[in-house]
Amino acid sequence: MTAIFINGQSVETGDHTTVLQVALANGFHIPHFCWHPELSVVGNCRVCVVEHEGRGVGIACNMPISDGMRVLTDSEPVRAQRKAMLQFILLNHPVDCGICDKAGECSLQDYHYEYNGETAISGDAKLHSTKFFPLSERIILDNERCILCSRCVRFTREISKSNVLGLENRGDSMLVRPAEGRSLDDDPYSDNVIDICPVGALLSRSFLYQARVWYLEPTPSVCPGCARGCTVQFWHRKAEWRLSGLDERHNTRVHRVTALENPRVNGPWICNKGRDLPELLDRPRATQALQKGAPVSLMQAIETARGLLDQAGKRVALVSSWGSNEELRAFRNSLGDYFTSFVKPDHLPLEGEVVEDDLLIRADKNPNTRAAQDLFGTAAAEIPDDTELVLVWGEGVDFGTLPRGVKILFLGSWLLPENGHADVFIPISIQTERRGHYTNFEGVVSPFEACQPHRDGVIDAETLFPLLSAPGGSASGGGAA
Amino acid sequence: MTGRKVLMDFEVTPTSHSLDDYRARGGYEALEKALRTMKPREVTQEIVDSGLQGRGGAAFPAGRKWQGIDPDDGQPHYLIANADEGEPGTFKDRWVLEYTPHTLLESMLLSCYALGVRHCFVYIRGEYDLPWRRLDAAVEEAYAAGYFGENILGSDFSCDLFVFRGAGAYVCGEASSLLGSIEGTRAFPRNRPPRMTVRGLYQAPTVVNNVETLATIAWIIRNGASAFREVGTEKSPGTRLISISGHIARPGVYEVELGYSWAKFLHEDCGGVLDGRPLKAVIPGGISSQVLTGKDAKVLTAGEVEGLTLDHEKLRSAGSSLGSGGMIVIAEGTCMVRLLQIMLRFYHHESCGQCTPCREGTGWMHRIIDRIVAGDGRAEDLERLNYIAGFNDGTTICGLGDAAGYAATAMLDNFRDEFDYFIENKRSKFAGNLE
Ligand SMILES: Cc1cc2nc3c(=O)[nH]c(=O)nc-3n(C[C@H](O)[C@H](O)[C@H](O)COP(=O)(O)O)c2cc1C
Ligand code: SF4
Ligand code: SF4
Ligand code: SF4
Ligand code: FES
Repeated sequence: MTAIFINGQSVETGDHTTVLQVALANGFHIPHFCWHPELSVVGNCRVCVVEHEGRGVGIACNMPISDGMRVLTDSEPVRAQRKAMLQFILLNHPVDCGICDKAGECSLQDYHYEYNGETAISGDAKLHSTKFFPLSERIILDNERCILCSRCVRFTREISKSNVLGLENRGDSMLVRPAEGRSLDDDPYSDNVIDICPVGALLSRSFLYQARVWYLEPTPSVCPGCARGCTVQFWHRKAEWRLSGLDERHNTRVHRVTALENPRVNGPWICNKGRDLPELLDRPRATQALQKGAPVSLMQAIETARGLLDQAGKRVALVSSWGSNEELRAFRNSLGDYFTSFVKPDHLPLEGEVVEDDLLIRADKNPNTRAAQDLFGTAAAEIPDDTELVLVWGEGVDFGTLPRGVKILFLGSWLLPENGHADVFIPISIQTERRGHYTNFEGVVSPFEACQPHRDGVIDAETLFPLLSAPGGSASGGGAA
Repeated sequence: MTGRKVLMDFEVTPTSHSLDDYRARGGYEALEKALRTMKPREVTQEIVDSGLQGRGGAAFPAGRKWQGIDPDDGQPHYLIANADEGEPGTFKDRWVLEYTPHTLLESMLLSCYALGVRHCFVYIRGEYDLPWRRLDAAVEEAYAAGYFGENILGSDFSCDLFVFRGAGAYVCGEASSLLGSIEGTRAFPRNRPPRMTVRGLYQAPTVVNNVETLATIAWIIRNGASAFREVGTEKSPGTRLISISGHIARPGVYEVELGYSWAKFLHEDCGGVLDGRPLKAVIPGGISSQVLTGKDAKVLTAGEVEGLTLDHEKLRSAGSSLGSGGMIVIAEGTCMVRLLQIMLRFYHHESCGQCTPCREGTGWMHRIIDRIVAGDGRAEDLERLNYIAGFNDGTTICGLGDAAGYAATAMLDNFRDEFDYFIENKRSKFAGNLE
């Protein structure tokens, strides 16, 4: 067992090989820009210096462990060098924090307050560079803010392997640029570079100037984009910073999605589809129960649905692969006996979408197929012609393919033409309005929390299913279970 | 004459670079001897015993570097001759490549034999045309004569050599950066650890030596380590090729026995300072070595006991080094502010841009010195230069950052009055002329 001394305190090194890793794992703070746990060590920013007693100051991210070594993370020479490195960075950094999306979660800001605290000592004009370089349809690059840590470049080489980003020119003319003839549009994981950029040099076009991050808070969730089920954070406005004069949607909208680090599922990464979930969630919602296209109360719709259920002879259910573990269990417990149930894919790969790759993206574009199939089997749906009632839960079913004359009970969340074609349509809540769990394709169960208010007129599927099966039961409206 | 010779021990003629001429003066005998009578480790031991120090700049003991490689560890190893010769004022490897390329090739074969290397490289700067053509022709001759390829001279030893022409920057000469250049990635210097003898070219243990360092190997194997130790001084055995330029009557490449009197070298062998002007300063070994002032040099001219001799330990105690052997002579009347401007422009232009202090600091210093020369100097500029230089020294991945720092501190330490004068009077003490 190897141990080293950090600031006089003995700590065990475990599996780690460098001083920086040991220090961070044991709660010692060492600033670092270029080092990232998932990327190769390049040691270019030179701020992670520590003092190896008797050996002098060196970078911690590339300092190998030797048994009994003594390092100081905050000695006088260490502070002096860190301060100087920050002054070197400030030399040509625009310090336009006032209009920078990264402000509030920027390493440069944090380290500046901690280790420098002075304005730039250079009295000369700063060098200028490209402000809005288009890297892709999704990302723009501000070369003035870039501190050339090369994290983004290494990401496209080592993680996403698209090899899109490179460095052009030399010295203080060096620029992050796409390789010749390439664009970051070719990289389905591109937006991760926005997260790992220690400063505000890489900017998301969809989040640009949308919100100051300190007005937002994250809710842990799970991406429903594919069977990987990456854990994510949905960023939305804090309740105490509620805007009253503007469209209410500013207060409830998911402004951005970032990865929620999870070594068992996705590490610190997610794909761009996960970033685009707000678009999926912002689709027009169905909030009105319908009977053959005519608006009815939710209670009325449930009543009618129960009648259909009692009258029908042969009944088939097409179960949603977007239902949570809880909802799927509720369905089996309450309605399992009424139906021959099949699991259906609610979503299929879209045109142009990456179907599957070696990093995260799975061909099954639904979050909970695994849990649904554990309960209802893997057989493809087979609906005999003499079926009298089909319960369709969720998206992905073309009613034209169902037997002629069959009664349709449709549970859905989105404003779609099919809603009116069903005999009964009941609006149900979406993931961001309730809590639950998904089981990914490898069997890892991840929780998600509610972060948006329940819509009026909408019911949770988990509440609905017992009501459909219990004769004489009554629906209590839209509230969560 | 500048003492005993190791490399310039023949007369340069229009054919002296050819294989026939090289063989006529004993060429490839050392290789035959080693392949017949020596084990690889014995060759390395001979180099360790010879005390040969690197000629590329840092004077690191060559034998000690080689001992970092275990020739029998079963993995591929590489040897690279560093012929990038980018250090300003340095043009001595060029002499080897042009006039006796076979000395380098024979030495590399011996080195590959010692280190268990199957494939070796010469990394030659793209700007070198004649040296490249001479080298290329020599490689062809050597292959034709069976010195490269499979089972060399009937032994078990096989070796191939590739000549790689750089098209790169000054920083490509830094040994680890050179690896990237060969591998086809960006020529960025790499952090140590790992040392290159642990993980170098294509992740395999690699030795990078300067052309002159390697070219000396053949002589050492032919004549023995003890013979080599008789040349030069106890701590600096052998000779150095010195390329001398600047304000000197007879610039060129000279082979100087280490320990040779500097005064004699400058004033007799090289004909003295141009136009008989007094000596102001000497940059002893490329601009990345610290500049020596005329004060020291004058002590030398007086020929007194404490006078400097040309060897590694004396220059180190004088706070400088023989560096890359690129000696630049500076006569009285030269504006050191303008000279520093030229040096800082170079470092700014050549910084690879990885390390924060070098990337930002070289440009920062360059812009400050430009402003001083333009007559816009400010009182705080010199302190600022010292601050920037101080934090370039020892904080970077490779030596370029350090060197840029030394350049500024050495000039400011020794010629502060000229800088003060320039800032105050908005012009050079010397009418702004470098001549
Ligand atoms: C910026 C920089 C440039 C260098 N350029 C050269 C060069 O052109 N030629 C050379 O032999 N060594 C050069 N070096 C030194 C090499 O890194 C390396 O130390 C040397 O080639 C090792 O050879 P030696 O041990 O035989 O001296 C340079 C070093 C630095 C930091
Ligand atoms: S854009 Fe960001 S991540 Fe990329 S090199 Fe610049 S600072 Fe680093
Ligand atoms: S890989 Fe799948 S689960 Fe992960 S972010 Fe992309 S779509 Fe979502
Ligand atoms: S010191 Fe300068 S040249 Fe050397 S690696 Fe760092 S930035 Fe590049
Ligand atoms: S984090 Fe160690 S040098 Fe950048």
